[in-house]
Amino acid sequence: MAAMTDPTRFSRRSFVHARLARQGAVFRDIGDAAVADSFPGRNGLATRLALIDLSPLPRLGRKGRGALDALRAADIPVPPVNNMALYNSDGAIIARLADAEALILPDIELAGDTLDRFESSPERAGCYPVPRGDSHFWFVLCGTNAVACLQKLCGVDLGPRDFADLQIAQTSVARLSAIVIREDRADVPAFHLLADSASALYFWDVLCDAMDEFFGAPAGHAALRELSTRPPAENAG
Amino acid sequence: MTEDRLAPPYGVMLDRSKAVRFSFEGREYRGFAGDTIASALSANGVWLLSRSFKYHRPRGILSMNGDDGNCLVQIGPEPNVPADRQPISEGLRVTGQHYKGSLRRDRRRWIERFSRFLPVGFYYHAFFKPRGAWDFWEKRIRATAGLGRIGQAAPATEFDKAYAFADVAVVGGGGAGVAAAIEAAQAGSRVVLIERQQLLGGSLNHARFDPASRRGIDTAKALATEMDALGEHITVMSDAVCTGLFADNLLAVTSGNKLTKLRAGSVVLATGLIEQPAVFANNDLPGVMLGSAVQKLLWLYAVRPGRRAVVVASNSDGYGVALDLDDAGIAVEAVVDLRYTIAGDSLIREALDRGMRIIHGYAIERALPNSAGTHVAGIELRLRPGQESGPESRNLECDLICVSVGWAPAAGLVAQAGGEVAYDDTRCAFRIVSSPDGIVPAGAVRGEWDLDAAIADGRRAGRHAAAGGRHDSAIDEPTVTPESNPWPIFDSDKGKAFIDFDEDLTPHDIENSIAEGFDDIELVKRYSTVGMGPSQGRYSATNAVRLTQILNREPLGGAAGWTNRPPTEPEKFGLLAGRRFEPQRLTPMHHHHEAAGAPMMLAGDWLRPLYYGNDGESAVWREVTAVRENVGIIDVSTLGGIDIRGPDAAEFMNRMYTSEYSRQSVGRGRYALMCDVSGTVIDDGVACRFADDHFYVTTTTGGSTAVFRSMLWWNAQWRLDIDMSNVTGAYASVNIAGPKSRDLLAPLCPDIDLSPDGFPYMAVRRGRVADIPARILRVGFVGELGYEIHVPASRGAALWERLTAAGHPFDMCPFGVEAQRILRLEKGHIIVGQDTDGLTHPDEVCMTWSISERKPFFVGGRAIEMHRRRGVARILVGFTLPAATKILPEEYHLVVRGDEIIGRVTSIARSSTLGHPIGLAYVAPDQAEPGIEFTIKGPGGRLIRATVSELPFYDPQNLRQAT
Repeated sequence: MAAMTDPTRFSRRSFVHARLARQGAVFRDIGDAAVADSFPGRNGLATRLALIDLSPLPRLGRKGRGALDALRAADIPVPPVNNMALYNSDGAIIARLADAEALILPDIELAGDTLDRFESSPERAGCYPVPRGDSHFWFVLCGTNAVACLQKLCGVDLGPRDFADLQIAQTSVARLSAIVIREDRADVPAFHLLADSASALYFWDVLCDAMDEFFGAPAGHAALRELSTRPPAENAG
Repeated sequence: MTEDRLAPPYGVMLDRSKAVRFSFEGREYRGFAGDTIASALSANGVWLLSRSFKYHRPRGILSMNGDDGNCLVQIGPEPNVPADRQPISEGLRVTGQHYKGSLRRDRRRWIERFSRFLPVGFYYHAFFKPRGAWDFWEKRIRATAGLGRIGQAAPATEFDKAYAFADVAVVGGGGAGVAAAIEAAQAGSRVVLIERQQLLGGSLNHARFDPASRRGIDTAKALATEMDALGEHITVMSDAVCTGLFADNLLAVTSGNKLTKLRAGSVVLATGLIEQPAVFANNDLPGVMLGSAVQKLLWLYAVRPGRRAVVVASNSDGYGVALDLDDAGIAVEAVVDLRYTIAGDSLIREALDRGMRIIHGYAIERALPNSAGTHVAGIELRLRPGQESGPESRNLECDLICVSVGWAPAAGLVAQAGGEVAYDDTRCAFRIVSSPDGIVPAGAVRGEWDLDAAIADGRRAGRHAAAGGRHDSAIDEPTVTPESNPWPIFDSDKGKAFIDFDEDLTPHDIENSIAEGFDDIELVKRYSTVGMGPSQGRYSATNAVRLTQILNREPLGGAAGWTNRPPTEPEKFGLLAGRRFEPQRLTPMHHHHEAAGAPMMLAGDWLRPLYYGNDGESAVWREVTAVRENVGIIDVSTLGGIDIRGPDAAEFMNRMYTSEYSRQSVGRGRYALMCDVSGTVIDDGVACRFADDHFYVTTTTGGSTAVFRSMLWWNAQWRLDIDMSNVTGAYASVNIAGPKSRDLLAPLCPDIDLSPDGFPYMAVRRGRVADIPARILRVGFVGELGYEIHVPASRGAALWERLTAAGHPFDMCPFGVEAQRILRLEKGHIIVGQDTDGLTHPDEVCMTWSISERKPFFVGGRAIEMHRRRGVARILVGFTLPAATKILPEEYHLVVRGDEIIGRVTSIARSSTLGHPIGLAYVAPDQAEPGIEFTIKGPGGRLIRATVSELPFYDPQNLRQAT
């Protein structure tokens, strides 16, 4: 069991940490922040329907005409088409948002070094950092009812037939412009949801309300870890 | 149980093991689970359900479809609930509506006696003379108008909405629709099947297709078996109504309190037919029903619709009704066949074999009411002209008249989608002529009425839709079409004959509309209101078009009906409002503001603290004083922030904003005024140059999205080598302002030289504040020494906490928007959007200094030149009022000169610093000199004299902010 920690011990905090604390979250340290690790008494939600806040985890954005070349120069694989993601060998997700824009999400246990490696790589012309760790919250909605739950909020068909694993939709979810990345875990549908950090609390509450119908609820980082199986190495670029 | 029910197999909708108690008009009744209000009441012998819209005539069951206006009831705060659709539930309290007194003895029934004074459109002519008459009549008319009462104290109700997706959507779960769904699913499509009833099968569940009454049941069973085998490939939405079909096959589907927006690759419309009423005197009496309604009462709800029936038929369906009644033990007094020649099909033969009396050659004179006038007691027939045999008039005693005279396709969705529907005079009914690609009509709605033909057509349509549904615009001729009477309209002077039950409209009303010159069917509809009631013409359009065409002496063949628009059936406003999505933006320090008791205001999408504490005005003055004399802190995270990076960043800034930025030094900030192409001021902020190729420009609260969009739009044309990022949400910002702000910050910023020379006014720096990486701007919006600190949003709360802790020794005070407005007003700074409007150009707000004359181009530059050549018509000036002024003008109060409106007040406040009221206002150019007095039309029209003052009001030498 994770050691309890106070998220306000850190200067970097989730945009919804106060709400998570009120909902009974137990936090644990991860990197330079604290993540809601579990909600005592709630088990097995992640396979049914769970909402998990990963906002305290780092993430990295790059924009500009040289952004994708910069990734390649750092030996980071780039998806061949826009709105697709792939895994790096350390489990990081490389999401190609446009011809000139990419987003990198670390593996959820921060075991890899893709972000650090890229940040320390030489600057390249036409490649500019985008503060995705602060501009966007990062939630994960997972469970067998995740697609049905998202259908209450989003006009894009996110079902498995039309929205495959590691596909990206940049669309409106509950009237917020959001980045939706599908990353199923052990055959359980899971969606990374990233959108305006200032609207994080609004979005969290909207999702909690939408989850009610399917008996879903907030869950912690531990629930996602339990769900997770390593992505096959051969998927790495 | 007191209700009278038929034994099974009648009553397929009922769960007879579950009795349900409910009340109607204060009296308790019992029904079964599965009953509608109308079926349960009719089983208890209650046939009077509502009163009509205009004449308060008694009304009861017409269609049992839940889509006519004859049995609308009130349930608690909700009016207009269709009793023939709404299920009963334990304890449900139902009342009639639109009556005075009681439903049975409506005291407004007398209105019909004055019907000749109330012709269609009477309200367009009457009540306007003498002058003032309308004021008198309006109250009385409104008191009697409308249907039911909306309970204003109704509790809030949850409404939901969701999106759904399908390769093929099938609307209508009758035989053809189910067959289409099966075929489409077998072709690999993901199918959603929408059925408005709880039970799939449509007419298979109640109509009679053969003498033995087996074909419907057997076909339904076979289709159900086929469908079950397809499992999850078909999603069934039962008890769901498709109310609209929009572009790109977006279907609005309502079910209870839920709206589903269904996007489909192609759509099969198997919406079936709507049985049409005949128009004859007293055709609205309770006990006069459509034949299909009678069959539903029998088969779905096990209700005896009467004891002695007369069937008015124009097709074999009427004979099916008669046989069903006979099988249920209900006496069939006669079948009155309105046709001149009768085809001998199997149902007719069966009726003859059973010895039923069949009457030919007669027209309907009227339905005869019982003594109370609330139910049918008989029917009067009259010999048709040209018929020689039989008496001139015949009266038949009955308590049930079943009307089976024809059908109309339920083609509303086809028409909404752009299909063509026109009257076919060979079939004596409307017919779908064409439908757009992706929209595939199937089964009876297309005219395929024979059961086997309809099922086969459904299968064809399912395959066709699964393949994309593209087709030639012409619709194939159906092989078998339903039989409809060409003219089921019977004139009589023995009672009112209704062509539209919803609005109590008679054929004479249609005649009057045409006589008034409203002769096109669209005009007839609007003038007479035919088809504008709850049933939206489902039971009136066919006869209205027939009548209109004949009265206009125009051919019926090819005539179109009126335009079909969504919704096809009434929708609750709650469904349209649905689940509320109203994004609200909070700064990372929001919970600290709440904890400090700050009332919040909405600024764009953001919530901002107005002031801190609960003592309103004195809190604001305390905050102003703290900033002027000590130090204050305000959360300015709501300001927009945009990063402009790249080799052409300075050139881009030059083009977007009015000042010159190519000469701006790194580490300096510069005021940034943005205009649109018409030279109108649209935003302002500070442009911070952090590197040769990097500007960070702030925008007004709520302005960042529009500014960013404008930047993207312009650079899509200019193609400058830059990248733009809207980082508004990525930064949390505070402004530390006041004479002690430097002293407060110095220990928190060990890597930044805060000295006046090291960090002068309008300089910008990057460093760490309280161990948090920050962008720091030395700006002076409030007119004091001040530092705007921008940090990553995830660290905003920590910054606030650390600055607040560091501020304790300085008695630092948080201040809100109200104090900031006064402080900036004292300094004479404008707020774009408050002190400017949609026409303000820079010279009007004394921003000439911010416009570079050296640049070849910037957005709005050309327009500003033109404005200058024309000269300004108004100027924004500062003004003062005497300290003793008790009632101040308000923002937007007018500046006047005699009768002429010159301008308006844009900002006003009592300045605690200066000791008197100050403000900004637009005045005429000749009034702009300091010392000149002008007039403001204040509260209650009071004229208030104000004096133009130099700006800024406070610290004109800028000694405090630049110190």
